[in-house]
Formats: sequence, structure tokens, C-alpha cells
Amino acid sequence: MTDSSGAKAAMIEISGLRKDYGSVVALHDTELSVPTGEFLTLLGPSGSGKTTLLNLIAGMASPTRGRIVINGRDVTEVPAEKRGLGMVFQNYALMPHMTVSENIAFPLEIRKVPRAEIRRRVAEVLDLVRLPHVGDRKPKELSGGQQQRISIARCIVYKPDLILMDEPLGALDKKLREQMQLEIRRIHKELGITMLYVTHDQEEALNMSDRIMLMNARRVEQIGTPDQLYFAPRTQFAADFIGASTLLDATVAETGEPALLRLSASESCRVRLHSAAPVGTVGKLLLRPEALRLVQNGQVTAGHNVLHGHLDNTLVTGATSKHFVTLDNGATLAIQELTDPSTTRLEPGLRVQVSWPPETGRFLEN
Amino acid sequence: MQIRTTNAHVRDAAYAMPAALFMALLFALPLFSVLHQSLQQENGGGLTIQAYAKIFTTPLFLRVAYTTLEVSISATVFSLLLAYPIAYFLAKQSPRRRALYMILVLVPFWTSSLVKSFSFMVLLGQSGIINQMLGAFGIAPVKMLFNRFGVMVGMSHFLIPFFVFPILTSLRSQPLELAKAAAIMGAGKLRIFLRVTLPLSLPGVMAGALLVFILSLGFYIIPALLGGRQDMMFANLVDFYTREALNWPMASAVAVLLVAAAALAAMLLSKVRGGSSILSEEGH
Repeated sequence: MTDSSGAKAAMIEISGLRKDYGSVVALHDTELSVPTGEFLTLLGPSGSGKTTLLNLIAGMASPTRGRIVINGRDVTEVPAEKRGLGMVFQNYALMPHMTVSENIAFPLEIRKVPRAEIRRRVAEVLDLVRLPHVGDRKPKELSGGQQQRISIARCIVYKPDLILMDEPLGALDKKLREQMQLEIRRIHKELGITMLYVTHDQEEALNMSDRIMLMNARRVEQIGTPDQLYFAPRTQFAADFIGASTLLDATVAETGEPALLRLSASESCRVRLHSAAPVGTVGKLLLRPEALRLVQNGQVTAGHNVLHGHLDNTLVTGATSKHFVTLDNGATLAIQELTDPSTTRLEPGLRVQVSWPPETGRFLEN
Repeated sequence: MQIRTTNAHVRDAAYAMPAALFMALLFALPLFSVLHQSLQQENGGGLTIQAYAKIFTTPLFLRVAYTTLEVSISATVFSLLLAYPIAYFLAKQSPRRRALYMILVLVPFWTSSLVKSFSFMVLLGQSGIINQMLGAFGIAPVKMLFNRFGVMVGMSHFLIPFFVFPILTSLRSQPLELAKAAAIMGAGKLRIFLRVTLPLSLPGVMAGALLVFILSLGFYIIPALLGGRQDMMFANLVDFYTREALNWPMASAVAVLLVAAAALAAMLLSKVRGGSSILSEEGH
């Protein structure tokens, strides 16, 4: 699957793809290239267009314009059943009248695979999803997590080039969801099948993805690795949607390395700009709770920013604790630290300082 | 908790009282009277099972029983073949359109059998509308009335709505993702229908078939008006014994057997998946 330049060939190549329903835009012009073997997550709130994009790729809806190329084949006009894809649904979509084995054998029967080989491959994928003994049961007799494993097995048994997953863990409880995330990652690693995964759960996206495509208001907001989206969000929406964040009003007061941001009449801080924003640019300062430190009595590391306020309250959530601080300018922010009795026992109302190094803040233009 | 449940039972029973009273007075009581009548001797005297003993050795009864079974089964099959495509079509429509088309299905349902039978006589008669049209093309008149064909047309027309609804319900309760999943796995439209849609609609088909079969057993007006002498069914036989042979014990015995057959089929109906919803109106 590598071409002469050594770069991986694209499994999905989407250009100028758009979907309208009458006068309503369901998906604005979208470009996307997914290398073979990648685990790409479409992340966004409901109504952001991620399901529309998935349906267009699956062939369940046809685009208003644009092209979809899968594994080198233009499938824009090809009906769903001829695209050779796999799909996993939130509600499993297992056939209730068929046994687990019959469900998994169904796509193989369509492909006219000989009976003996069907038996062998069904047993093989049941082993792969670690449910070797449920072949004779009906889907209803299995738990939600088990049913979703069967639906994944039904998908990988015919080795599609690409597997689409539409919020597959949405119906499961939190603990099972985390277990299944690992399971899906393991299967992805073992088989190397390209996966396109839709979720609205940012934590799930960060856990599982090679890359995340963040969608908002029916267009692509940002695409990048989990690291890039978390540490280098390009927009306020991206900063707010992924991870916990505090966004403070800010204006560029001085450019330079680092630049000076004015937060209020009396407060300012230093930050490294990642774009050439001229003096006077208005935007927000993004601060992640875990990058902030709660300080008392002005014991601030030299060169770090500091803001003054008073402690509202403290929540001990286990290994980490959260402090909520109201700044003198009225804004509130959250600080997350490893639980330490010397700070968790502070009285609410106490004057405190919040400090952070210039490189961890991020200025996002309006 | 115990008290509340008891109260709830009392309250529910109270709701059912008017209907129960109605059924007791107008169904159970007359039924007992019919049962009693069927156990009378022909010339008066004590109770006897003479009528039943006689019935099973009467060639007329046996022939009518056979006809009733044959007509009921073929009407059920015929109605199914016509109703399934209608239900399938309705299931695919948007809710607004479905509501509209549903009215078309229900119109025959709301029309009296008597009126419909006379309409069919006008349509199917020897010099009826259809035969006149065939005549215009030089085709000799086809006998469509006073035979099995006429009975089938009349009965199916009456029975189709009773078949459409249970099938439609089971088609509509199928998750849309199933067909979608099958398509993405590579299944064509025919295979999706045969392997997914059809098998999952079988409970509705079974429920509808039993319901339609039960209704068929008791048909009276349609075989009387559209059928010939050889199309006599149970209800027509009851009529024959009451009004022509004036043998009330025999008429009552036939009626009791008819009710028993229908009750048996209704018990089967409550056993099939989807059937209980028709009997209890509860769905699921």
C-alpha cells in the first residue's frame, strides 16, 4: 500500500464534497484525505455534519456535488451495496432472527464464500472479538457490549478496505465504553483496516484516534492529531470542545517573543503567538486547568504569568483536585492539580494567585 | 403496596364492567341459549347430544365443513398475496402520505358487506360492467358470479384491511438500520427483502392470517350473494337449518361448532408473536 515516494496511499480522498437538503446545507464543501490504515475520528456536537459526511461515504445519501474516491476508485455514483465497506452502528443492527454465527456469515454468503470457509472464518473472528462460544445464540441473548463486538466481527469477517463506525459505543455505560475503546484499538492495530469513527465524545476521540477531524456547524473546524487538537487548537470552538478550558477576553498589546496580552485595565500576561496577530487584535486566551498553578503569598516562578483573585471552592475528585478561582476582573477559571493537602485545605474566600508559564497559554483570535 | 394493587385491580375491573355486562347479556347469554338449544331433541324431550351425533354423519354438514375450510384457507392466502404489497408500500411512505393512503385501505372496511356484495354483482354479473367491457373487445362473457371466483373477490375485498394492519405494524417496527446494514454489507434489494424484511414481518403475517381465517369461517352475506350452491359455508348452513329445514337443534349445533372453531383459532392467535397485540390492542 505504499507508492514510490514512500508515502502511504490514501484510502479515502474527498474533494469539494457538499450536501444540501433543499435550501438547508447539511455539509459545507469538505476536503479530506485519509491514509490507508489510519484511525480517523469525526468529532463534533450533534448537528455538526459528521453523520452526514459518514452517510455520504457509506453511500446512504448522495452528495449535491464533489467526489469521493475510496481505495483509488471513484465511488461518488456507486450504490452502498457495491462500495465494499463495513459499518458498525450505535444500536448494533444485528439481524434479530439470525443466530450470531448466521449474522457473521451473512456478508460472506453474499460474497459466495464456500460453506467450509465461512465456518472457519466465523470461528476466527469470534475468537478475535473474544466471544468464541456464543455462535449459536441469538443477538438478544447477549449484553450490549457483546452485541457490539459481534457487529464488529460481522464487519471485519469480510475484510472491507474501510470500516465506518457511527457512535458505536454510544449505548454502552462508561466502564464498558472504555473497555470497548481499547478493544476497537486492538482490533485496528491487529488488522490494520482503515477506520472512520464518529463520536461526539471528545475523550473517546482523544483516546482512540490517529487523527481527529473536528466538525462544527456542518463544516470542518480543524483536523490533526489528538496532540495538535489539544495543545494547538486553531479556533475558540476547538479549544472549548476538546478538553477542559478557560477562555479569557484578551487583546494583543505588544507583539514579540513572547507577546503581551492585555486581559483587563490592570491585568496582562505574556504568551507565545502562533500567528502573526498585530497589536490591537481582539480574541481569547486559552488556559488549560492542568497548566495552571494555585499560588499563595506571591511565590511565583520568575517569568511566569500571574493573576490575582480569590478561591471560590475546591473539589477533591481523587488523584487530582480542582480549584475554582474568581479573578479580580470577575472571570472565573478552574485549576487542576494533583491532590495536595496543603492546597485542598485552603479556606474559600482566601486571596490567591494563579500562575502559568507563557508557553502554555494560547491566544485565539475572534 | 398490597392495598394499592388490590385497589388498582378493583378500579380496572370497574372500567371493564360496562363492556363485560354488554358481552354477558348480548353474547354469553344467547350463546348459552344456543348451546342449550343444540342439546334439545328434535321433537322435544330431555337433553341429548343427538344433534352433534347426527351432524357428523350428515354428508351435507361434512361437505359444508370442507367448503368452509377450503374457502377460508384460499381467501386467507389470496388476501395475503394482495395485502402484503400494500402493507410494504405503506411502510415505505412518509407519515403524511401513509395516513392518506390508509384511508383508501379503510374505505372498504367502513362499507357494509351487503352494499359491497351488490356492487360486485353489478360489476361481475353476466351482463355486468366488466363483461360489457370484455364484450367490446369481442370476448365472450366470463362467469364471475355465483361461483368460487365471486366469493374470493368479495371476501378478499373485505379481508384485506385486516391483513394490511398487522403486516404494516411488523414492517414498521423493524429498525431502519437493519436494511441499511445489509446494504452496506453488499446485499441487493431482493436479498434484503428475502433475508431481512420478509422473515422479520412473519409474526405480522401469522397474526394477520389467523385473524383473517377466523373472520372467514363466519362469512355469511358474501357466499350467499356472490357464491353458488356449492359455496355454502357454516353460517349459510345455520341459516338453512333455521329457516328451511326448521331444525333448530341442528342449526344450534353447527353454530356452537363454528364458535368453537373460531375460539380455537383465537387462542392460537394469542400465542403467536404480534398476535396478542391484535387481541389486546396493546402493541408489543
